[in-house]
Amino acid sequence: MQPAPPTFPMKRAMFAAGLLALTSATAPHHLAFQVVDQRGLPLQGAVVEIARPAGDTRPVSFAPHYGMAQRNIAFLPGTLLVPAGTTVAFPNLDTVRHSIYSFSKAGRFQIDLYGRDQTRSHEFTMPGSIALGCHIHDKMRGYIRVTTTPYAAVSDVNGLADIANLPAGAYPVTVWHPLGRGAEGEWHGTLTVAENHPNRITIATR
Amino acid sequence: MPLPDLTVPALTASDITISEPKTTRLAVWRRWSRDYRSSLQGRVSLSITTLLVIVMALTVGVADYGLRLYASTVAERDLIAGSKVFQHNLSAQQNELRVAGEVVARDFGFRAAFASGDSRTLGSALTSLATRAHAQAAVVVALDGTITASPGTPAIDGPRVLSALNNGADGGVIMVGKTLSLGVAARIEMPDLAGWLVLVRPLDRRDMAEFARLSAIPVNAQVALAGQLAPDLAGVVPGQLKHRDGDGVSAPSGAELVQITTLPSLQNGLQPVLALRYPLSSAAQAYQSLRLALASISLIALAMGVFMASRIARSIVQPLNRLAAATASMARGEMTRVEIRGRDELSTLAQSYNTMVDAIEERERRITHAWLHDDLTNLPNRRFFQEKLDIAVDRLARHSRIIVVVLDLDDFTLVNDTMGHDTGDALLRHFGALLPELAPNAKVARFGNDEFALLIDYLDVNEDVATRVENFARKLVTDVYIAGRTIPLSVSFGVAVCPDDAHDGATLIKHAELALSRAKRDGKRTYRFFEATLDEAAVRRRLLEIDLREALRNGEFELHFQPLFSPSECRIKGFEALLRWHHPQRGLINPSEFIPIAEHSGLIIPISEWVIREACSQAALWPDDVCVAVNISPKHFEAPGLIPCVISALAHTRLSPNRLELEITESVFINEFAQTIDILRQLRGLGVRIALDDFGTGYSSLSYLRSFPFDKVKIDQSFVKDLASDASARAIVRAITALADALGMETLAEGVEDVEQYDALIAEGCLMIQGYLISRPVPVLQAIAVLARWNDHDTVQARLAG
Repeated sequence: MQPAPPTFPMKRAMFAAGLLALTSATAPHHLAFQVVDQRGLPLQGAVVEIARPAGDTRPVSFAPHYGMAQRNIAFLPGTLLVPAGTTVAFPNLDTVRHSIYSFSKAGRFQIDLYGRDQTRSHEFTMPGSIALGCHIHDKMRGYIRVTTTPYAAVSDVNGLADIANLPAGAYPVTVWHPLGRGAEGEWHGTLTVAENHPNRITIATR
Repeated sequence: MPLPDLTVPALTASDITISEPKTTRLAVWRRWSRDYRSSLQGRVSLSITTLLVIVMALTVGVADYGLRLYASTVAERDLIAGSKVFQHNLSAQQNELRVAGEVVARDFGFRAAFASGDSRTLGSALTSLATRAHAQAAVVVALDGTITASPGTPAIDGPRVLSALNNGADGGVIMVGKTLSLGVAARIEMPDLAGWLVLVRPLDRRDMAEFARLSAIPVNAQVALAGQLAPDLAGVVPGQLKHRDGDGVSAPSGAELVQITTLPSLQNGLQPVLALRYPLSSAAQAYQSLRLALASISLIALAMGVFMASRIARSIVQPLNRLAAATASMARGEMTRVEIRGRDELSTLAQSYNTMVDAIEERERRITHAWLHDDLTNLPNRRFFQEKLDIAVDRLARHSRIIVVVLDLDDFTLVNDTMGHDTGDALLRHFGALLPELAPNAKVARFGNDEFALLIDYLDVNEDVATRVENFARKLVTDVYIAGRTIPLSVSFGVAVCPDDAHDGATLIKHAELALSRAKRDGKRTYRFFEATLDEAAVRRRLLEIDLREALRNGEFELHFQPLFSPSECRIKGFEALLRWHHPQRGLINPSEFIPIAEHSGLIIPISEWVIREACSQAALWPDDVCVAVNISPKHFEAPGLIPCVISALAHTRLSPNRLELEITESVFINEFAQTIDILRQLRGLGVRIALDDFGTGYSSLSYLRSFPFDKVKIDQSFVKDLASDASARAIVRAITALADALGMETLAEGVEDVEQYDALIAEGCLMIQGYLISRPVPVLQAIAVLARWNDHDTVQARLAG
């Protein structure tokens, strides 16, 4: 479940940021985080969110399309980061039927059983985390994190997450993970953004 | 085996001075107890009883210990099983709740209600759920520890429960309000874990009662918190069994078995435990009857054992006591036999004892028989006869008589000598067997040697005793056949009659014997009744015997000497020493009267020795050509001291041996011929002269003359007396002198009283003369005078011519 590859505008922005860095001390930075659990093991699927600084108008977009597929009796990708108001497609790539439900406060919904190569979709308006389950397959877990900030990323298998175009400074940070011990599975803290300053975030999981 | 102590304990002062009955009883009891303990019966009984008591006590003790151990082990097992039952019950309830909880927790509607966040809706849903699951209450524990419960549910400590749930607990004891309850948690997943649904059910008394019902044993079960246990259980380590002794304070129900088991908890900080108590008294109760039975059996066995022990002891001791009593009575002389009971060793002992008594009795009988009977004829002996006679005399009725007959075989010595002792014994046996046939009503006895006796009692006073005796005497004239020879039976006997002659047995026998000796004297093969004069003579004889003993010591004896005259030499060649007894009261006693008494009593030997010494010492005073002749009694001749006596006398007096002449009679040859010859040779060896006295009388045998070369033969005076009137006497004298002359022996004639005899004897060749014609025996002082007178030749010629 690799995070979505950076799109062209993203690359361009990064390039612009690189130019900016060469010309100005306040040029946007590319930030790298590593999320680990209390044992120090890298935590995959954690969503790192840095609140939008005041006056920032950057549009929130992480991908041209947002979809959560069902393949091999599992949601794919396991954790999907979407901006608020996004309609997410749920294509069934399996040979069996699946249903989808969510009791999460941020988006309570239910999609009845549907078959192979069928797609259903749902719009997520409220920011927050939504846990997806299948009525007939208890082990299937999928998570959709609805966010309002453009500075957010999902950690990969090494717990690494990159956030670009963020000026240096100290920011409040929220890290969410399905197993997080904090309320709603969230961890809140403050991070100082600096050039080539790797940040290591440790959160407690259950 | 020691016999019981039969000695009577000595009375002590305390035994005697008892005044209080209580003390008496105590003393009696003490003495009885001491005697009993020292007795064999007591010791055996006490030993076996003590052994039994020990064995029984050990048996009961071990059995009781085993029972207690077994009861305790069973109780432990039961308690562990009970604990397992309880926990099984608990987990069964948990499972029941879990199934219900898990079903509900997955229910979409429930999850929807939970997700709605409406606590009222959720509460109502939980109420219905609790009812459905037969639970006291259903609560939801959110991940933040908040509790949502059905309305009316007592308070539950959310954070602690959450903490326990986070640590993985899914069921256990939980505190609901103030009640310990059983809680089961089911995960609420939507699909992530959103909380837990907890169903609770109180651990109330109903559950415990149910448990007690299910348990095999009466267990007191209690679920409590570890810190709130009863103080007496505080020290018990969970998981271990503990025996607690009932001291009455900490454990009012007595000894008990306790186990504390830790129960799973659904609430952090809550340490619930299951405390099980098992009163051992109830566990042991099951074995109480068994112990009672065991104790009863032991007591009964003990009682039977004691009874048996005393019986065995009695069975051993009673025969022993019987034996002891029998032995004691035997010591008193009673031949008591023991009753034999059973077939055991003691009966063998009793049998041996009886055999011993039989043997002793038989031996006594034999000894008595030997004591009272004669070996040879097996007839009663003199002792027995005397006893029977004494009894008969004692029982003698009026108008009744007893006859005692003493018999003697005439010339039995001759039979013995001529035919041998075997024939003599056979004759005695034959006669002993014959007598009872001849006198059927008489009691027969043998007095010894050839003397027999008859006792005829209960004879009527009117019976003609004389005829009866005469008939008996006639029957005695018979012949007996022994070893192919006919021997004419010749018996003399004397008769004494009671009460005519005497009034006691000893006197009767004595009188009969006197009568017998009278019969003997009066010619043999006859009989005599006792007459009083006979008795006087016997009394005189006995008195003489008594005096005779004193006579030698008192010097009452004297030797007189009678000359032995040689006609050819016309001189006295010697003297014959003749003994005279001057009795202090009776005066001079005739030798023919006291010599037999001296011979009979054995006094003859000292007397004879005195005579030899005295004769020698007198002769030593005479001229050398005068010798002295001394008569030697056959008794002295047989005695061993004769030769030493002669040697001693010759040595003391220095008398030449050839001046001593010993005169013996033929009777010395009768008993031991070879020995007699030997003695004679020894005497001859001393140089002493030997003369054969009284030749021609008694058992004269010419062979005696041949067997020893006597120096002199003395012709008996009976031949000299008849010399003038009887031609045969003269012929005998002639034969003797001729024979003696031929054998080189001198001849001497005794009792020559007149000249006619003297002439005849000279004519017939007799060499020596002795008698009144020459001189009567004279005392020693006169002997010298006689010698002087006779050895003067002129005087002699004149006398013989005159």
